[in-house]
Amino acid sequence: MSNATLPAGARDPGYPTERENYLTNSSGILSWVFTLDHKRIGMMYLIGVVSAFAIGGLLALAIRLHLLKPDGLLFTGAEGNNIYNQVFTLHGAIMVFLFIIPSIPAALGNFLVPVMLGAKDVGFPRLNLSSFYLWVFGALFFVSALFSSGLDTGWTFYTPYSTTTDTSVILATLGAFILGFSSIFTGLNFIVTINTMRPPGMTWFKMPLFLWATYATSIIQVLATPVLGITLLLLIAERTMHIGIFDPEFNGDPVTYQHFFWFYSHPAVYIMILPAFGIISELISVHSHKHIFGYRFIAYSSIAIALLGFLVWGHHMFTAGMSSLTTIVFSALTFTVSVPSAIKVFNWLATMYKGSISLTTPMCYAISFIFLFTIGGLTGLFLGTLATDLHLHDTYFVVAHFHYVMVGGTLIAFLGGVFHWWPKMVGKLYNETHGRIASLLVFLGFNGTFLPQFVLGSRGMPRRYATYDPEFAFLHQLSTFGALLLGVGLLYAFIVLMVSLAKGRRAPANPWGGVTLEWQCTSPPPYYNFERPPVVGDPYDFHNLEWDAENERYVMTEPERKLVPESTPDEVPAHAGGQK
Amino acid sequence: MFPAIESLAMTFPTLLADKNADFWFPIQGSSFAEEVDWVYDLILYISLAFFVPMMVFMVWCLFKYIKARGTKAESQLSHHTTLELTWSIGPSVLLVWMFVQGSISFLDMRSPPEGSYDIGLQAFKWGWTMDYGNGTFHPELHIVKDEPTKLSMRSTDVIHSVFIPAFRVKKDVVPGRYNYMWFQPTIASEQISDEQLAKLKKQNEGTAWDYDKVHTIETEDGEKEVQVTPEGYTFFDLYCAEYCGTNHSEMQTVVVVHETQADLDAWIKANSSRGEVSMEEWGELLYGRRGCSGCHSVDGSKLVGPSFKDVYGSQHGLTTGENQLVDENYVRESILAPKAKVVAGYQPVMPSYKGQLSDDDIASIIAYLKSISANASSQPAAAEAEPEAESAE
Repeated sequence: MSNATLPAGARDPGYPTERENYLTNSSGILSWVFTLDHKRIGMMYLIGVVSAFAIGGLLALAIRLHLLKPDGLLFTGAEGNNIYNQVFTLHGAIMVFLFIIPSIPAALGNFLVPVMLGAKDVGFPRLNLSSFYLWVFGALFFVSALFSSGLDTGWTFYTPYSTTTDTSVILATLGAFILGFSSIFTGLNFIVTINTMRPPGMTWFKMPLFLWATYATSIIQVLATPVLGITLLLLIAERTMHIGIFDPEFNGDPVTYQHFFWFYSHPAVYIMILPAFGIISELISVHSHKHIFGYRFIAYSSIAIALLGFLVWGHHMFTAGMSSLTTIVFSALTFTVSVPSAIKVFNWLATMYKGSISLTTPMCYAISFIFLFTIGGLTGLFLGTLATDLHLHDTYFVVAHFHYVMVGGTLIAFLGGVFHWWPKMVGKLYNETHGRIASLLVFLGFNGTFLPQFVLGSRGMPRRYATYDPEFAFLHQLSTFGALLLGVGLLYAFIVLMVSLAKGRRAPANPWGGVTLEWQCTSPPPYYNFERPPVVGDPYDFHNLEWDAENERYVMTEPERKLVPESTPDEVPAHAGGQK
Repeated sequence: MFPAIESLAMTFPTLLADKNADFWFPIQGSSFAEEVDWVYDLILYISLAFFVPMMVFMVWCLFKYIKARGTKAESQLSHHTTLELTWSIGPSVLLVWMFVQGSISFLDMRSPPEGSYDIGLQAFKWGWTMDYGNGTFHPELHIVKDEPTKLSMRSTDVIHSVFIPAFRVKKDVVPGRYNYMWFQPTIASEQISDEQLAKLKKQNEGTAWDYDKVHTIETEDGEKEVQVTPEGYTFFDLYCAEYCGTNHSEMQTVVVVHETQADLDAWIKANSSRGEVSMEEWGELLYGRRGCSGCHSVDGSKLVGPSFKDVYGSQHGLTTGENQLVDENYVRESILAPKAKVVAGYQPVMPSYKGQLSDDDIASIIAYLKSISANASSQPAAAEAEPEAESAE
C-alpha cells in the first residue's frame, strides 16, 4: 500500500488481514450458528429479512397481477376470493412482522450500533443471538400457518372476524407473539449498549443520529411490544375459550381489540420509520460532505416522535364509532406528530445546501427517500383531518399513504443503508453505475405503483377487494405495471450487490468520506471492531477528512490539537456516574 | 403531432371512471360532499405549496452542488436556531387550521337533525338489508332527495362498514352495538322509461341483473350511458369498507334517491308484499333480494352455503353425522334458526331471518326451491320419503 499521496498526518487503518476480519477470523458453519459477534448476527438477520422480503414481494406481485382485471385475473373459481384474501393477508403480515419491523434495527442496527458507538459488541451478546433465533422461530410459525390452512384475517387480526374464521389464526398470532420477544430483546440490548458502553468522549450529543434514532426506536420496542403480546394472547384465549373480551357473541366488544392492537401498532409504525430517519441523516450528511444541519433538532425530534407516537393510536378508528370528543382529541394529537417529521425533512434539505454532493447510489436512495417520504407525510394530513378521513378511511388512499411511508420510506432507506454500508459489511465495492440505474428503476416503479392509488382511493375504491367495479380498471392497471417495474428494479439492485461479492473491488476503510466511527476501522471490520480505542469527535465534522485520489478513498488527518483548560468534559458519560 | 398521446389525453377522464366524476372525486351526491371536497382541496393546495418548492430546492441543490469527489463543501454551517424555529412553528399554524376545518365539518356529520327519516340497516356476510318498517326489507337503499336520512346500523356477525363515496360518508357497523350515520342527498336518481327498461331486460334475459354493466340507451339528445337497477333507476354505489372475509369485495349495494317522499312511498308499497305475483316468482325475487344468492347458488356450484339446485327433496348430511331430508320444515328451520342443523362441509355462518321474513315470504321461498328442484315432484310428502344414499354437498 502506497502512502505517497497521503497528506501529512493522515491515518488510515488500511486493509484487514485474514485473521482480523470478522468474516474470516473463524470458519465453519458452527462458527456462524453459535456466533456472539453482533456483526455476524447482523448479517444473518440481513439474509433472513431479505428472504422474507422476497416472499412478501412475490405475494405483492401476485396481488397486483390479480387486479389487472376487474373480476380478477389470477385467483378465479369458487375459492378465488379466499385465495386472494390469504395472499394479501400474508403479504401484509410477512412484510410488517418479518421484514419492516426487524429490517433496519435488527439487520443494519445490529451491525452498526456497536461500531458507530465505538464499542466491541452489544451489551448482551447471547440475548442478541437468541433474538435472532426467536425471529427464525416466529417466521417458521408464519410459514406453518401458510401451509396448514392459511390466514385470511388481514395483518391486523381484527375481531370478531379473527375469532370466528376457520384459518390458522392461532399459529400466526403465536408467530407474531414470538417475533415480539425478538423485537423486545433487540431493543433492550440497544438501550443497554448505548447507555453503558459508550467509550470515553462519546457523549450523548457526540452520537451519530443513527444511534439517536435507534435509541428512540428501542424505547418503543420495549414499551409497546408487550401490549401486542398480551393482545394476541387474549385473542387466542377468546378463540379457544370464548372468554368474552372481544366477541360480541360472548358479551365482548370488538372495538376494544382495535384499541389494544393500535396501541402497539401505531407506535410500531415508528419502529419502522425512525431508524430510516437515522439512516437518511447519515447518508445525506456523508454524501454531501457537510455537517448535518440542526443536529439537536433532529435528535430531539426522534425522541418526540417516539413519545407522541404513543398518543395517536385512535386515528385508526375514526369511523368505528368512538365519541366525538375522543375522535377530535385523537385527530389533534395526530397533527402534533407531523411537526417533528417535517423538521427532519427541512434539516436534510438544509444539509444539502452548499454541500459537496456526490451522487452515489446511497445518495440516490436518500433523495428518493426525501421525495417519497414527503408525499407519504403530506398525504397523512388528509387522513388525520376528520372530515376527509371519513371519506378516505379503508380506501386505496390509505394503502397508497402507508406504502409511501413504509416502502417509500423504510424500504428505500434500508436499501440506501445497505448500499452505503455494503463496502463496510463485506469489504467489496459494487458497480456504481448499475447501482444508480437500479435505484432509478425502483423510484419510477414505486411511483408508478402507488401514485394512481391516491386517485383510486379519493374516487372511492375500497381496499382489500378481490374484485372491483370496472370504472376503476384503468388506474389498477397503471398500478400493476408500476409494480412490475418496481420488481425489476429491486431484482436489479439485488444482482448488483451479488455481483460485487464475486467481482467487486476491495473496499477501502472509508470509500465515501464518512466521519462516524465505523469508517475508522477496516472494511470489513476486525472481530473486535477496533484495534485500539477510537478517537471520538463530532461525528459530522468533515474538516479533517482528505481525499486520497490515488487509492480512491478518504483518510482522516490528525485533528488540530487545542489545549483544553479543564480536564473534565462538558458532559460526563453515563457510565462514569453522570456527575460533573 | 403525437396522435396516440393526444387521444389518450382526450379519453383519460372517461377511462378513469363514471362520467359524472372529476379527476379526484366521485360525483357530489350529498350536502356533505362539497364541504369535504373543500377541506380536501385545502389540504391538497397547502401540501403542494410545501412539496413543490421543497423538491425544486432539492433538485436545484443537486445540480448546483454536485462536486468532484474530494471537494470540500462550501459551508459547514451546523445550525441556525431562528430558521429552525421558524420552520417548526410556521407549518404548525397551518396544521391547526386543517385540524379545525376538518373537525367542524366532522361535527356536522356526526349529529343527525331532529326528525330525520330513519332507516334500519343490517349488515351480514355478505350483504345488506334495509328495513323500511312495516315488514318491508330490501337490499337497496332508497331515500328521498333533500331529506335528512339517518341509518341505524347493526351487524349480525363481524364488523362491516357502510361507505357511500358519492355522499363522502363512512361508518363501521359493529356487531353488538348500534352505530348511526346520517346524510342529506342532493341529487335524485333518474329513471329510464319503461320501454327502455323492457329493452334492457330483453337484452339481458337469462342472466342475473348486473348493476355494474354500462348500458347504452337512446334519449332525445342522442345516446347516453347509464348503469341502472332492475327497476330502471340510476344509482350511487354503496360498498362495504371493512374487510369481512370471503366475499367482502362483492358486498355492495346501491343507493337510489327519489325525487319526492310520495315517490319513495310508492316504491316501498310496491316492494312490501307479494301482491299479484306468483309464489314462485316472489320467492325468486326474495332469493335475489334478501342475500340468499350471495351464498347459495342455483346452478349447483358450491359457494359459502349449499347450492339450491335440486336441493328440495334431497338428503343433506349434517355436521352431526345424521341425514336430513330437505322438506318444508327443514327449510323453514334453516331460515329462522340456521345454526340448528348445519350441513356437513359448511360453516355455521348464516344469520337468522327471524322477524324479517313473513310466513308468506317463507312459503314463497319454499315454492321457489320446489320449482328449481328435480327432486321436488318425486317427493309428494316428506314423511313417506325413503332416505336416499346421495347427499348434497
